[in-house]
Amino acid sequence: MRIAIAGKGGTGKTTITGTLARVLGRSGRTVLAVDADSNPNLATVLGIPPTQAEALVGLPRDLMQRRAEPDGTTKVVFARPPNEVLDQYGVHGPDGVRLVVMGKVHHGGAG
Amino acid sequence: MCSAHATVRGLLGEIVAQGEYAGDILVDMEAGLEHLSRGTGRHVNRIVAVLEPYYRSMETASRVADLAKEMGISDVVAVSNKVRDEADRRAIAEYCARRGLNLIGEVPHDPALAEAERNGLSPIEHGPDSPAMVAIRALATRLLLALLCFVPIASGALPV
Repeated sequence: MRIAIAGKGGTGKTTITGTLARVLGRSGRTVLAVDADSNPNLATVLGIPPTQAEALVGLPRDLMQRRAEPDGTTKVVFARPPNEVLDQYGVHGPDGVRLVVMGKVHHGGAG
Repeated sequence: MCSAHATVRGLLGEIVAQGEYAGDILVDMEAGLEHLSRGTGRHVNRIVAVLEPYYRSMETASRVADLAKEMGISDVVAVSNKVRDEADRRAIAEYCARRGLNLIGEVPHDPALAEAERNGLSPIEHGPDSPAMVAIRALATRLLLALLCFVPIASGALPV
């Protein structure tokens, strides 16, 4: 299944996401958990130890790159094989759940 | 020019496009709606809107459902959280019925969650059989059943 868990802040999205991930992982499924919150705390709910969670590096923005197309236009594409990116930036937590975390959000004009 | 959100979107899009990854993907979305409206949900096939029994939270869930539909994700389900009593349950059920939200699960208020957080522990390790954990296990079962049976997910009370 590919699902996104959404809702107002403080509703318990992260608790539900993380626990669902653990339950699915425990039942033998391969699970990728993606923390797309700019204030990430999915790692704790997943049971990833604080030292490991603190060492987590968010996905760098330069994974997206401009590529020149044959017709002369440019297109923004994901520049690396996703498996390689998951291996580099993902961490494995309990019940085999793999976590990747969004990079820091830069507010203001630079975005 | 690319935001952090765009990178997550790019990764998910690439995983889906390659079609090699056969596992589950669960995305914990940012609070609010901006993220969703930028299309981060585009690469998932179901959105779970979590709502608490108070008006602003329910309104957000309803807007999540509207936005998801605008993006072409018709499969939006709602799950209530922090439900304390029958009055909470009724308020959520009535709201969901009025707005056409498909309520597929209920997670009760559970003091064990706050305890887990205070202790920096994963709730499933802190209290594996606490009421919220039992409810989320039932929710996982329901989501899996809907997946395996290729049927629209059923609403109504969770099986005990």
